Amino acid sequence: MWKGIGKRESGELRPSLFCSRIRSSRAASLQLSNHKEIVSAHRGSVNSLQVDLTEGRYLLSGGADASVAVYDIQNSTHCEEGGRVAKHKSIFVIDKQHEHGHKYAISSTIWYPIDTGLFVTGSYDHYINVWDTNTTQVVMNFKTPGKVYRIAMSSLATSHMLIAAGTEDVQVRLCDIASGAFAHTLSGHRDGVMSVEWSTSSEWVLLTGGSDGAIRFWDIRRAGCFSVLDQSNSQLGRRPPFLENSALNKASTSKASAAGQSSSVKARALQRRAANGNGSKQSTIGRVRNQVKGSMKHRLHPGLLSSQDRATAHYGAVIGLKMTGDGMYLLSAGSDSRLRLWDIESGCNTLVNFETVRLQTSKPLQLSLTQDSALVFVPCMATAKAFDVWSGKTRLTLRGHYENVNCCWFNAQDQELFTGGNDRQILVWSPPNLITDDVDALSRKGQAALDEDNWSD
Amino acid sequence: MSVWNYVVTAHKPTNVTHSCVGNFTGPQELNLIVAKCTRIEIHLLTAQGLQPMLDVPIYGRIATLELFRPHGETQDLLFIATERYKFCVLQWDAEAAEVITRAMGDVSDRIGRPTDNGQIGIIDPDCRLIGLHLYDGLFKVIPFDNKGQLKEAFNIRLEELQVLDIKFLYGCPKPTIVVLYQDNKDARHVKSYEVVLKDKDFLEASLSQNNLDNGADLLIPVPQPLCGVLIIGEETIVYVNASTFKAIPIRPSITRAYGRVDADGSRYLLGDHNGLLHLLVITHDKEKVTGLKIELLGETSIASTISYLDNAVVYVGSSYGDSQLVKLNLQPDAKGSYVEVVERYVNLGPIVDFCVVDLERQGQGQVVTCSGAYKDGSLRIVRNGIGINEQASVELQGIKGMWSLRSSTDDPFDTFLVVSFISETRILAMNIEDELEETEIEGFCPQVQTLFCHDAVYNQLVQVTSSSVRLVSSISREMLDEWHAQSGFSINVATANLTQVLVATGGGHLVYLEIGDRKLTEVKHAQLEFDISCLDINPIGENPNYSHLAAVGMWTDISVRIFSLPDLNLITKEHLGGEIIPRSVLLCSFEGISYLLCALGDGHLLNFLLSMNTGELTDRKKVSLGTQPITLRTFTSKNTTHVFAASDRPTVIYSSNKKLLYSNVNLKEVSHMCPFNTAAFPDSLAIAKEGELTIGTIDDIQKLHIRSIPLGEHARRICHQEQSRTFAICSLKYNPSSTEDSEMHFIRLLDDQTFDFISTYPLDQYEYGCSILSCSFSDDSNVYYCVGTAYVMPEENEPTKGRILVFIVEDGKLQLIAEKETKGAVYSLNAFNGKLLAAINQKIQLYKWMLRDDGSRELQSECGHHGHILALYVQTRGDFIVVGDLMKSISLLIYKHEEGAIEERARDYNANWMSAVEILDDDIYLGAENNFNLFTVRKNSDGATDEERGRLEVVGEYHLGEFVNRFRHGSLVMRLPDSDVGQIPTVIFGTVNGVIGVIASLPSDQYVFLDKLQTNLRRVIKGVGGLSHEQWRSFYNEKKTVDAKNFLDGDLIESFLDLSRSKMDEIAKAMSVPAEELMKRVEELTRLH
Repeated sequence: MWKGIGKRESGELRPSLFCSRIRSSRAASLQLSNHKEIVSAHRGSVNSLQVDLTEGRYLLSGGADASVAVYDIQNSTHCEEGGRVAKHKSIFVIDKQHEHGHKYAISSTIWYPIDTGLFVTGSYDHYINVWDTNTTQVVMNFKTPGKVYRIAMSSLATSHMLIAAGTEDVQVRLCDIASGAFAHTLSGHRDGVMSVEWSTSSEWVLLTGGSDGAIRFWDIRRAGCFSVLDQSNSQLGRRPPFLENSALNKASTSKASAAGQSSSVKARALQRRAANGNGSKQSTIGRVRNQVKGSMKHRLHPGLLSSQDRATAHYGAVIGLKMTGDGMYLLSAGSDSRLRLWDIESGCNTLVNFETVRLQTSKPLQLSLTQDSALVFVPCMATAKAFDVWSGKTRLTLRGHYENVNCCWFNAQDQELFTGGNDRQILVWSPPNLITDDVDALSRKGQAALDEDNWSD
Repeated sequence: MSVWNYVVTAHKPTNVTHSCVGNFTGPQELNLIVAKCTRIEIHLLTAQGLQPMLDVPIYGRIATLELFRPHGETQDLLFIATERYKFCVLQWDAEAAEVITRAMGDVSDRIGRPTDNGQIGIIDPDCRLIGLHLYDGLFKVIPFDNKGQLKEAFNIRLEELQVLDIKFLYGCPKPTIVVLYQDNKDARHVKSYEVVLKDKDFLEASLSQNNLDNGADLLIPVPQPLCGVLIIGEETIVYVNASTFKAIPIRPSITRAYGRVDADGSRYLLGDHNGLLHLLVITHDKEKVTGLKIELLGETSIASTISYLDNAVVYVGSSYGDSQLVKLNLQPDAKGSYVEVVERYVNLGPIVDFCVVDLERQGQGQVVTCSGAYKDGSLRIVRNGIGINEQASVELQGIKGMWSLRSSTDDPFDTFLVVSFISETRILAMNIEDELEETEIEGFCPQVQTLFCHDAVYNQLVQVTSSSVRLVSSISREMLDEWHAQSGFSINVATANLTQVLVATGGGHLVYLEIGDRKLTEVKHAQLEFDISCLDINPIGENPNYSHLAAVGMWTDISVRIFSLPDLNLITKEHLGGEIIPRSVLLCSFEGISYLLCALGDGHLLNFLLSMNTGELTDRKKVSLGTQPITLRTFTSKNTTHVFAASDRPTVIYSSNKKLLYSNVNLKEVSHMCPFNTAAFPDSLAIAKEGELTIGTIDDIQKLHIRSIPLGEHARRICHQEQSRTFAICSLKYNPSSTEDSEMHFIRLLDDQTFDFISTYPLDQYEYGCSILSCSFSDDSNVYYCVGTAYVMPEENEPTKGRILVFIVEDGKLQLIAEKETKGAVYSLNAFNGKLLAAINQKIQLYKWMLRDDGSRELQSECGHHGHILALYVQTRGDFIVVGDLMKSISLLIYKHEEGAIEERARDYNANWMSAVEILDDDIYLGAENNFNLFTVRKNSDGATDEERGRLEVVGEYHLGEFVNRFRHGSLVMRLPDSDVGQIPTVIFGTVNGVIGVIASLPSDQYVFLDKLQTNLRRVIKGVGGLSHEQWRSFYNEKKTVDAKNFLDGDLIESFLDLSRSKMDEIAKAMSVPAEELMKRVEELTRLH
């Protein structure tokens, strides 16, 4: 470390490379944290975890007991074991007793991507609730026709505020926070939708994975899905020339970013643009290609050729989706206990062999990636595993939960992993803290006193 | 409140990152173009050497600099891409002598991850396209159309994710790239692709080579007729083309730069990490490559770029040492080296640490930097203003004037020094032993004060006293003629040159005399309405002995007038305004431009452009040099004329780029100055100050002065101890000769005057010096050096062991007094409440200094604070501790005396990776971070909730574009308590590129005013290549881009002074402030650095 700092100081090591080296070495050394513990507020399995995207400070968790809780992961509430282990109790819990609380299990909880003023929960009671964090009141809700499996909001979006919801129903619903109504329903899946994920390169592109085994790509400005991934469309080594698979190559048609945006969103959109300045940039590789192959698009869109429309990505349900931060690859998990890495541009299955043994099949899984997309964290029964994304090799096996793990969230800011399982625990996995205690008993007492004083939240 | 900050560069970047050679400014002109991270310099190669043509800032960090020549062009164009994904193509406009932008654009993408290995930008040798590798897995292509214009860019998917280098191959029918990459298993290979523009895709090409040297890092494409590519590894060099493969082993080294010698590509210069320069030769039989040969030429600075100019002259740009111009000789010298260094260009980068000291105790800070790396490590003493190197001095009270005289008109040296007192005049002369002794000139009148003296033609001297003008032979020293003032009217002021004398007597009489052989002739007499305060007839016209103009400053109406000579007709009258009379006027000419300088009694100086033909005065400018009356004198140094303004703040006025510049002289108060150019002390000045007469020479005339102390090793930390007058440094010496990369680490003690090593304490094996501090402890009067170290074991990721060493300086030796083992690296040390505060890995630890029973002392830990990832940078103020974390921005801790504990008070929750922190005042803290940004945060003591109080609010954000390693409070300039600028607190920073900058905390009203000025300047001053200043200064990291706030770009604001008058007026109009006022305020700001 000191050497790296020295090399950065003298300009020998590029600062960005310095960061990414430290990040990846920290991510590779994750272990059950010896200094941080979350005191889970749930009395049922933990189904969903997310740390807010703005400050990386507040962890939101949703449980099968219909409770949702928020923890401050930066400031501990108290310490144990002589001040070495910081405990983080929830700041608040909303459970069934709450007047607007969900009745059944919460399957998915997400923060509003722009700030921590709102969060959204989806539950098996068919409702999607939008909450005001400060008052813990429901400000809006949406009723869907079935159990809600997964909800997602785009962190890139500057011109819409849509919650995409995958439910028992075959249709994917887009709930508009700006208007309080369903903006669209996306039809195509032949079974319930277990996973939804927004594109990391275009705010208009949504990816959904259904119990029918299909992964569909949608451009929400258009009707119908524009691409379905086919597990048999694979590629070993060099990608085949472009022309052969152009039909699948409609990812992110983002020509006119201003088109199709409702006026009610506009005011909000401006705010958002200020919030994440680079979000408005929409150029993708897809765009150039689409201009070239414009005629193809018209022929196939909407409603793809039926053979393509039947394609599946997994044998069995698609239970988890995660797109890499660079917008070039997609990871999917299926109830066939497979993890697949897809090249989004070509729609090819890259055939990376992930050494998964068995995946839990009954529930949607929440996968998580490191910032550089080198490692993917996958709940594998009672463990969470980290796989090398490019080789599929197991890098870490994180054992700590007593029952099945449901969700992973990697906080890229601190290189900490949070996992939630059926054992109702939320575990923190962090790079080891070197214990530098040459402290004598006296100062340890001081440390304890300090933590009591910190009792503020 | 230090919320409003003004950031300005005191020393520009000097780290050379790129260079290229081509015909940029004209088809026949050979140019060297050098990029210094955020600046480019264009030089012209002439018979005399390199001649600078242009030095301009670029609003971006330069990632790529390439010259190219599209079809049909007669000279080269310059392609620049910046790290923030902007590019531009520049062209030289010979008529306006400036660069114009031919094309520009943005090449950023939403998709893709920025490459870790740095951006690559290359241009096809046949100018068909530009290739950029900016994001992993994507290759961006900007095609040229057949007119040489750029077309719309597109991306091609690149299979290889870990790309090390990409180059275009020569001699290919279709543009073809060769890619050096690393695979999943860390093996390195080379592959090539043809770019198919029509399909916007790659087609795999034939050239490829698997399993290369593990250190292969650099590709060199070989031009026609040989074609193919050289792959430079750490242990082998390989040549490959479609059919041939040749390899040679080399001594293990990392090649950092190459330069092609011949156009046919058969010889290359390679510079390695030890600064060794090799010549690589491709032996070939016609077009068939037969082998490779490598030969050591010699040693240079560690090269970051090599450009072969012409005739065996090579430019070696360096990031770690001074850049050099070297000549390659055909025959080796005595040491076997073929390299001869012709010229060196100072480079301060990388400044890893520095301290601000006042060695001369004049109240002016100097910066001593740890600069350079490896063998090129050095200390640099950077100081503002011009130094006088004292050679002799005598105590003399009450000097009223001084002049030097020659013993004959054509003697190149001065002999006599006339020193005038209130009621006598004494004459000093150099004797044979080169000593100054008192002598006599018989013809001079010694009993009265002399008003003026000068040499005159025909070996004569002129002395003016209050009653008469005497003409004396400089050989016989006898009086030849005398002119008496009209009785009742004594002479008040006088001036003369070789042939003319102008005197002013009471009652407003102005008398003009001419000097003949043994004769003084009164030529003209004029009666003015007021008394005259000052005069000058310094000849600045074509005739060096005779002036056609006389400048006269007046009492009462406070004006300066220009009269013609010899007829004493009034040509121009300029009222100065105000109530302060002019005390000194001077006609002078710099770089062919004539000026009238007029100094007032209150330390202000006015300057005018003077038309030699019409005598008209234009372009009035006013600056404040000091507070006392100023006397102006010209002098010559290195064949250039400068003006010395003697006052309470002596200043040298000189001209650069046809602009007048003012540089402080490092002397406290000077009443009089005259040049005294003797054979023994050439180019000397005689200076009268505070009861003393000093003879000394003057440094080079420039604003910042840099002295180099080469160390031959890499200094990492420095600190100064006032009491022992020493510096202590942590340094490391690389040992390139041994096989393992062995390093030795030392604590060295240096004398603060001579900078000699006076004592050394070697550290253990694997032990690194990480921090150093000079401090004292409570209940102990001694001053100690405390050193924090780390044991960096090869197998460990993070140090788990370190030491704190406490030294005392005794008899010039470092004596170890105490040592304390720590459980990690001691990244930072601070004196804190008479105790020692250390940052050890993720912990902040407080140690007290305890007296043991046996009388010895030891460090005892008192309390600590956890909760950081790595506490790298720590600053303290009172009981507050500000910590800059490796990746978690700034946090504020407080030490509670009663509990004896350290607690966290507040934190910035942004994910900034810190590189330096400083406390600006009680509430505002300054940070520099990994993405070259600066930001300030504010402690929110008045927050309503704990949550609010526990949060450091971000109040300022700014993209500096420089990697800051250290902030220190202090100033490079003398602070005058009476000027506005003197009250502004400043912080100095040092960066990797060798920039020394100043951050000044301005009052709110001044900030608002300057912010408005900055906005207006942005409209008028356009960035080179059409790059936007506003975008450049916007805070930028992986997560967000936001406009700069509460920081101003001083470099832009100060460039107001370089604008033409019409543009100044345009801005003044937009601001509704007079241009004069603007100029004054901006000039004030330039005094900050």
